[in-house]
Amino acid sequence: MSLALGIPASTVSSALRPFGPVESARATRHHVLVDPKDLREALGAARRELKLDHFVQLATIDVGDAFELRYILTGSHRALVSVRTRLPRAAPHVASVHDLLPPAGLYERQVHDLFGVVFDGHPGLSRLVLAEDWPEGVHPLRKDFLVEAAARPGAKGGT
Amino acid sequence: MDALSTLFYALVFPGFLFLASLALLFQYVDRKVVARVQGRIGPPLLQPLADFVKLLGKEVISPEGSDSRVLSAAPLVALAAVFAAFLLMPVLGPSPLGFTGDLPVALYLLTLPTVIMLVVGFASKSAYTSLGGARAVTLLFIYEVPFYLALLAPAIAAGSWSMGAIVEWQSANGLLVLSQPLALAVALVGLQAKLERAPFDIAEAETELIAGPWTELTGRRLAVMRLSFDAALVAGCVLVALLFLGGGALPGDPHPYWLVAVAVVLLKAFLVALVLIVVRAAFGRLRVDQFSSFGWRVLAPAAVLQVFVVLVTVGGGWP
Amino acid sequence: MAEIMIPIGPQHPALKEPVNFKVFAEGEIITRLELDLSYNHRGIEKAAESRDFTRVVPLLERICGICSHSHTTNFVKGVEEAMGVTPPPRAQYIRTLIAELERLHSHMLWLGVGGHEIGFNTLLMWTWRDREDIQDTLEEMTGNRVNYGTNKVGGVRRDLTQDQIDRAHKRFDTLEERFQGYAEMATQNPTIRERFQGVGKLTREQALALGTVGPTARASGVDSDIRRDDPYCAYPDVKFQVVTEESGDVFGRTLVRVREMMESLKICRQLLADLPEGPIAAKAPRTAPKADVISRYEAPRGELVHTILTDGSDHVARLDIRTPTLANWTSVAASLPGAHLADIPVVVAAIDPCLSCTSRVTVVDIHGRKPASYSWDELRAWGIDRHAGRRRRS
Repeated sequence: MSLALGIPASTVSSALRPFGPVESARATRHHVLVDPKDLREALGAARRELKLDHFVQLATIDVGDAFELRYILTGSHRALVSVRTRLPRAAPHVASVHDLLPPAGLYERQVHDLFGVVFDGHPGLSRLVLAEDWPEGVHPLRKDFLVEAAARPGAKGGT
Repeated sequence: MDALSTLFYALVFPGFLFLASLALLFQYVDRKVVARVQGRIGPPLLQPLADFVKLLGKEVISPEGSDSRVLSAAPLVALAAVFAAFLLMPVLGPSPLGFTGDLPVALYLLTLPTVIMLVVGFASKSAYTSLGGARAVTLLFIYEVPFYLALLAPAIAAGSWSMGAIVEWQSANGLLVLSQPLALAVALVGLQAKLERAPFDIAEAETELIAGPWTELTGRRLAVMRLSFDAALVAGCVLVALLFLGGGALPGDPHPYWLVAVAVVLLKAFLVALVLIVVRAAFGRLRVDQFSSFGWRVLAPAAVLQVFVVLVTVGGGWP
Repeated sequence: MAEIMIPIGPQHPALKEPVNFKVFAEGEIITRLELDLSYNHRGIEKAAESRDFTRVVPLLERICGICSHSHTTNFVKGVEEAMGVTPPPRAQYIRTLIAELERLHSHMLWLGVGGHEIGFNTLLMWTWRDREDIQDTLEEMTGNRVNYGTNKVGGVRRDLTQDQIDRAHKRFDTLEERFQGYAEMATQNPTIRERFQGVGKLTREQALALGTVGPTARASGVDSDIRRDDPYCAYPDVKFQVVTEESGDVFGRTLVRVREMMESLKICRQLLADLPEGPIAAKAPRTAPKADVISRYEAPRGELVHTILTDGSDHVARLDIRTPTLANWTSVAASLPGAHLADIPVVVAAIDPCLSCTSRVTVVDIHGRKPASYSWDELRAWGIDRHAGRRRRS
């Protein structure tokens, strides 16, 4: 029952090459790394030219000196295209895409709470997932936020 | 009737104690039948009594800013209104407290509990209760007129505003359920709505408004208010039994011995209640605007049509 | 009437889990709403980073009671992809069977809850009674009614006996009849039609634009189902239909779920009939090489996505979870303004919200070594101090 569709690597390449290096693991998995300032344009191009009409996930990873944001999109061709960008840890700002991709409204709030990334232009970056009395400026999913390990077998102390 | 018997009539039988017991009994039947329909076991016979007694002993909590005296008095007023209405009804035979025109008075008294709900809703000073109280009155405007009209039809046919006289008339002229089925249908719908039962439990919609105007009633206030509505179920069913099913009369005997009369009235009322109970189990809840639409497009025209038919037949000299 | 604010939650009879929305309404019509999802936060993504794979599985299982298998399956298959391990066919079939049983019990629960939201408690009682048949099957097969503990990296932990299979078949026969009954009830009961038709309407364009997934999206004509589009486990071996409707309202979503229940029953029967022999697990290494995996799964509520980064050690470097309910909240926020207050529970319930899934990211550090007891205020102040102190130190 598997429909082996996907998009050929060449198509993805021609649509997104202008923004950054494109890698295609297979017809259904592609990603491109773009500059934060090109993010909105890249997403626009991706949606238009690759017919990506469904926003799957805004994944965020703390890679040490930067935060990597991955905007994962798909369409009826069932390929996953991940538009990635890296934000310097000291100044994690990027333009909000809530108007291009409406679900981003909620996803950006969540990333803001947990990583401290600031999405410029977001209409209301208020707390979404952290409790109301959680202290300001403390972002728990960052690697330097240490959760004390109790005497739990198998748990590594201080990730 | 001398003062002592009147007092007995009003407070013990068939008055206060009798009605209160019936109210609890009808609540039991309601819960048991619904439970069985739903595949559950349902409560034991004394559960409603146990609940009532338990509630009497619970702490009364008045929300900040609410009018405590109103919240305490209102349930008592509702209870009194329902009991007064019941006392007017000819259950043993003609009621010693009945009089010409007692039908509209009984109807008015039975409307009071809904108005009390509005008062309680606003006196509780909460968004949920105010909305619930407002809904209760909005509903009132929709079903009350058709309900009154539906009960007007028997009065026109019998040529009297006295419940006793209407019952008498049926012994001679046939049960009104047969000649005015439309009125009966409208009356049943109106009664279900008045008693805030599904599909018309809109004012207290649990999943939207917590409990509507009931939300802030606690302890003995809640106990008394619930008892009023349970008693209203009994009174309403008895009223329908009187006006449409011939009251305490039997086919061959318009004035049976009082014990028999009571049993017959109760049996008929019980049948009416069963209909209301099964309807409650079979439906979900309507939205206010949907009920409004139903009320104006179906209920009101049906009631008006029925009254019109009765006027024509009475005027034309047909029985 | 002037605008009033009605708080829905965090405790409210319409909500099975805490969420807070402030609904602003004029009379009975909603004008806008504000959403706060923090109440079920438990720090799971963070906790996953400090545990090895085996220990992450029970952690993820407890994200949610009714979609627990979804989270664990999605995770283990992602890790298996990273490690290059393939579970044996029998394990895949068992995983898929449990997944479909989960879908069945979740949809039945939903049907009951949908009925309850409109005051139709009879439907609630009947569907939940029948749901017990599925729960009994799950309990016999896995030892538990929820949080089954069946998955591990490499395969499953328990095998099925012939006796369990026979009993399951019998129950499926009864359920099939009951489902026909529910299909009729859902389509013909007047209050269900009144309360669900035309409510919470989402067009196909809106559903796509707002990132809606699962039965909510399929009811708006979006033809998407991960079991078919990005197949996993034993789905390539079974035949089933992806159910869609065009109406886009709550009634459509009801129909989709009822028909999906029937499809799931078909899938379960096929799986049991064709169950391959063989081992139930492959040997998996302790560590996973450096890899970057996107694992997707069609949970009962819709598409569940895990982005998993492994780094050569025995635990994940990052586990980023996007649950279907988080994806669907935006559609609730979009379809409520202009609707009646009375429709709120219906519209919220129609996306089949699982708040435990939605709020499960980070925090929690609750061990107090001191034997004294604390008042709520003291605990709160203590927590804040600790976090502030940690920030100063780092």
